[in-house]
Amino acid sequence: MDLLAVLNDLVYDYTLRTVALGSALLGTVSGALGSFAVLRRQSMLGDAISHTALPGIALAFLITGSRLPLVLMAGAALAGWIGTLIVMYVVRNTRVKQDSALGMILAVFFGFGLVVLSYVQRLPSAGKAGLDKFLFGQASALMSRDVWTMFGVGLIAIIILVLFWKEFKLLSFDPEYGVSLGFKMRFVDILLTTLLVAAIVIGLQTVGVVLMSAMVVAPAAAARQWTDRLGVMVALSALFGALAGISGAVISSFMANLPTGPTIVLCISAIVVFSMLLAPNRGLAYNWLRTLRRKRQIQTDSVLLDLHELAAQHEDHRRPHSTATLQAMSRNPAAVARSLQELVERGLALEEKPELWTLTDQGESEAVVKLQDMGRTS
Amino acid sequence: MKLRVTLFIAFLATSMFFASCGKEAESPKSEQLNVVTTVGMITDITQRIGGDKVKVTGLMGAGVDPHTYKASEGDVARLSDADLILFNGLHLEGAMGDLLEQMGKSKKTVAVGESVPVDKRLAHADYENAYDPHVWFDVSLWKHVVDTVVFTLSKMDPDNAKLYGDNTAKLQARLDTLHAWVQEQAARVPEGQRVVITAHDAFNYFGRAYGFQVRGLQGISTAAEAGTADVQDLAAFIADNKIPSMFVESSVPTRSIEAVQAAVESRGFAVSIGGELFSDAMGDGGTHEGTYVGMVEHNVSTIVSALLGETPQEGSH
Amino acid sequence: MSTPNAIEVRDLTVAYREKPVLWDIDLTVPTGVLMAIVGPNGAGKTTIIKAMQSLLKPAAGQVRIFGKPYHEQRKLVGYVPQRGSVDWDFPTSVLDVVLMGRYGALGWIKRPRKDDRTLALEALKKVAMHDFADRQISQLSGGQQQRVFLARALVQQAELYFMDEPFQGVDAKTERAIIGILKELRSAGKTVVVVHHDLQTVPEYFDWVTLLNVRRIASGPVNDVFTEANLRAAYGGRVAFKSQSGLESAVEGEQVS
Repeated sequence: MDLLAVLNDLVYDYTLRTVALGSALLGTVSGALGSFAVLRRQSMLGDAISHTALPGIALAFLITGSRLPLVLMAGAALAGWIGTLIVMYVVRNTRVKQDSALGMILAVFFGFGLVVLSYVQRLPSAGKAGLDKFLFGQASALMSRDVWTMFGVGLIAIIILVLFWKEFKLLSFDPEYGVSLGFKMRFVDILLTTLLVAAIVIGLQTVGVVLMSAMVVAPAAAARQWTDRLGVMVALSALFGALAGISGAVISSFMANLPTGPTIVLCISAIVVFSMLLAPNRGLAYNWLRTLRRKRQIQTDSVLLDLHELAAQHEDHRRPHSTATLQAMSRNPAAVARSLQELVERGLALEEKPELWTLTDQGESEAVVKLQDMGRTS
Repeated sequence: MKLRVTLFIAFLATSMFFASCGKEAESPKSEQLNVVTTVGMITDITQRIGGDKVKVTGLMGAGVDPHTYKASEGDVARLSDADLILFNGLHLEGAMGDLLEQMGKSKKTVAVGESVPVDKRLAHADYENAYDPHVWFDVSLWKHVVDTVVFTLSKMDPDNAKLYGDNTAKLQARLDTLHAWVQEQAARVPEGQRVVITAHDAFNYFGRAYGFQVRGLQGISTAAEAGTADVQDLAAFIADNKIPSMFVESSVPTRSIEAVQAAVESRGFAVSIGGELFSDAMGDGGTHEGTYVGMVEHNVSTIVSALLGETPQEGSH
Repeated sequence: MSTPNAIEVRDLTVAYREKPVLWDIDLTVPTGVLMAIVGPNGAGKTTIIKAMQSLLKPAAGQVRIFGKPYHEQRKLVGYVPQRGSVDWDFPTSVLDVVLMGRYGALGWIKRPRKDDRTLALEALKKVAMHDFADRQISQLSGGQQQRVFLARALVQQAELYFMDEPFQGVDAKTERAIIGILKELRSAGKTVVVVHHDLQTVPEYFDWVTLLNVRRIASGPVNDVFTEANLRAAYGGRVAFKSQSGLESAVEGEQVS
C-alpha cells in the first residue's frame, strides 16, 4: 500500500473521496457529541437511539412509499427522538433506572422495527428500498449529495455545540447546580439529546443501526485517556472519529468485499485499544511500567539501607560485605545483584573486590536521609 | 402514575404477542395438491404444469430478494400445511436454509435448482464447494427444472399425470421458442459490446449461455455489502472499456449502482442506466413480466436495446 | 417593615412516593444569621433546602426569599451542594468549576471573560486554593473539593447561601477555614443556612438553629432553642448529654434499640 497512491486517491478518486469525507464527517460529529454522552454516563443512549431509529425508517417507507434518504432519515430522527423522550419520561416518573429504561426501549423499538421490516420485505418495491441495508450501513454507496446533507446537519450540530458549550458542560457536571443558577436544564438536556439524535441519524447510512453506538462511545472513551481538559477531550474525540472514518474508507478501498461500515468500527476499536494501553497517566502499559519502576526503587533502597546497617554494626565502617550477606538479609535475593549495580551507577556504592561491597560517602548520607524520612534515626 | 405506565407496557407486550399469533384460516382439504414454492420463477412454471389440479402458493412475490428473505410466522404455517415444497436450493434462499431443511424431514421438499446436472452448473465465485444458484437465466437449463417439477407432481398425484404431461409438453415447446429467440436477439449485439453490468452476480448463466460478459457490483448474494473497492473496481472497468449502459435490478437497492455511475462520471465517462432487470424476482403479478417467459423477454429486450442504443422490442411471440 | 426576612416558609409539605418527608413546615429566617439545620437521618434536611430553592416540587406550601418568590430572586442565592452529588473524575480544572458560579450572571451562551476569571481567582484565594487553580479536580482531597464548591458559591456574590453538609468528611484545618469564611459572610450582612451533621459544634459555629424531623421541632437563636427538651423531641431520645465548661452541648448517641 503505497502512501502516495493512497493520498492521491483520496483527493482524485471520486468514490474514495466521497466515502472518506462522509465517514470523516460522521466520525467527527458523533465523536464530539458522544463525549458528552459518555461523560454523563449515558453511553447506552447512543445505542438506544440508533436501534430506536429502525422502526422510524421502516415506517417512513411504509407511510410515504418514498425511499429518498432524506425521508427515511427524517423517520429515523423522529423515532429516535420519541424513544429518548419516552426514556426520560419513564426515568422521571417511575422507579426504573436509566440503564434499564434505555435497554427496555432499545429492545422494544428495535424488535418492533424488525417486525415492520419483515412485513415490508414482502412488498413489491421493498427490495429496491434496501431497508435492511440500514442494519449495517452501506458506506460505499455514499454520493456527493449525501455528503452535503451530512455536512449541513453536522455543521449546525457543531455550531450549536459551541454556542451552548458552557451550558452543556454544566449539564454534564452538575445539572442541579445549573437549575439553582436559573438555567432551564431540562431544555439543555433535550437540546443535547437532539444533537445526538442528529449525529446518529447522519451516521446510519454509513455504519448502520447496529454499529452506530460504537461511533458514539468509542472515540470519547479513547480521548478521555489522553487529557483532563474537556475542550481537548471533545476535539480529540472528534479527531479520532474522523481518523477512523477515513482509515475505514481507505482500507476497504484496497481489499475487495470488505464492507466499509464495519471496517470503520474496527479502526476506532483499534484506536481505543491503543489508547487504553499506551496513553500516559491513564494507560495500562504506563501504569504497569510505573509500578515496576517503583518496585525496583524500593528494592534498591532496601539494599542501600541494608549496607548502611551492616556498616553501622561493624567497628570498621569501611569493611566490605559480600553479596551473599546482602542476599541473606533481603526479602528478594534474586534482585539484589541488580540493585547493587544500580547503586554503583548512581555512585552510592563501590565494588571493592569481586562480590564485596561498601557504601560511598554519598551513599552514607543518602541512607541517613532516607532513614530520617521514614521517621527512624540512624 | 406508576400504574399507568405499567399498564401501558403490559398492553404493548400483550398486543405484540397477539399480533405474532395470528393464524391463517384453515383451508378446506380439497382435491387440489397444495404446493408451496419460494421464488416466482418456480411458482410460475409449477402453476402452468399443474393447472387447476394444484394450488400453488409462492412465498416471495415481485421485487422480493430471496437471498435475504426471512420466513415469517405465516410462511411457516403455509409451509407446514403444504403437501409439497419446491424451492431453488443451491443456497439461493439463504436465510431460509435451516427452515427448509427442517421441513424436509417431515414432508416432500425438493430443491429443483439441483436438477441442473453438476457438470452444467457454474462454480460459486467465492466459495469452493458451492454453486451459483441463478440457473433460471439459461432457458435450456431451466428446462431441466421443468422436468423435475412434472416428475415430482406426477409421482405424488399419478391420477393427473397425463394432464401434467400435456401441460409440460406445451411449456417445453414455449421454452424452446424462447431460448431460440434469446439467441437471436443476442446475436444482434456486436462482439465487442456484449457486456452486461448489473447490481449483483445474478447473470452468470445468462452470460455463458448467450455469449455475454457479465459483471455484478455485489457478489453472488446480496447479503454482502459492496465495499469501496468493489465500487472503484467496477467504475474503473466501465470507464476503461467504455461500456455505455448498466442495469439496476428490481429486488436490489439502486443506491450502489447510482454510486458506481457517479464514480464513472468522475472518470470522465458517462454510463447510463439502461433499465431495470428482473434478477431474483419477477415483475408484478398479473403482468406479462410476472411470468417466467415474460421476465426473460423483458430482460433480454432491455439489455439488447440498451447495448444497441435503441428502444426495446416486442417479445418472442 | 424595614428589611424583609431572608426566608419565609409557610405550610411547606414535601412527599416522596406517598411518604411525607417534610410536613407542614412554617419557618422564618431573619437576614444576617448563620443558621444550622439539624435533625436525625431522614429528617428532611437536604429536602428542605432543595425545596427552598425550587429544586424540587412541594406537595403544598410556599417559600419567599427576601419577600419574593424564589425564581425572582435567583441572583441573590448561592448553593453549595453535597460533595457526593458530583462525579469528581470529570475532566475539568478547579478554576473551571469555580467559574461555573459566574454562569448565572452571564446568562445563556455568553462565555466567562477576564473579570469573571479575576473574581474566580479571588474566591479561590479566600478559600486558600489559589495555587490549585489549574489542578484537575480528581486530584483533590475531600477538604479541597469542599473548598472549591464554597469558592464557586462565593463567586456568585449572593446575599443568601445554602450549604449541604459542608463539613462532612473534611479535615480539621479545612473545617476551621470554612467556618471562618462563613462567619465573615455573616459579618458582612449575608445570611447563611447550613445543613449540619455534628451537634457538638452547633453552639460554637452558629447563632441560629432549626431542629427538624419531618416537622419543624423548633427554630430560633441557638441559646433559646438548642435545649435538651427540643433535642429529645427531635431525636426521639437518641441523644446523650454532657456538660462541658458550662456550655450545654449535645452529642447524637448511638441508637438504643
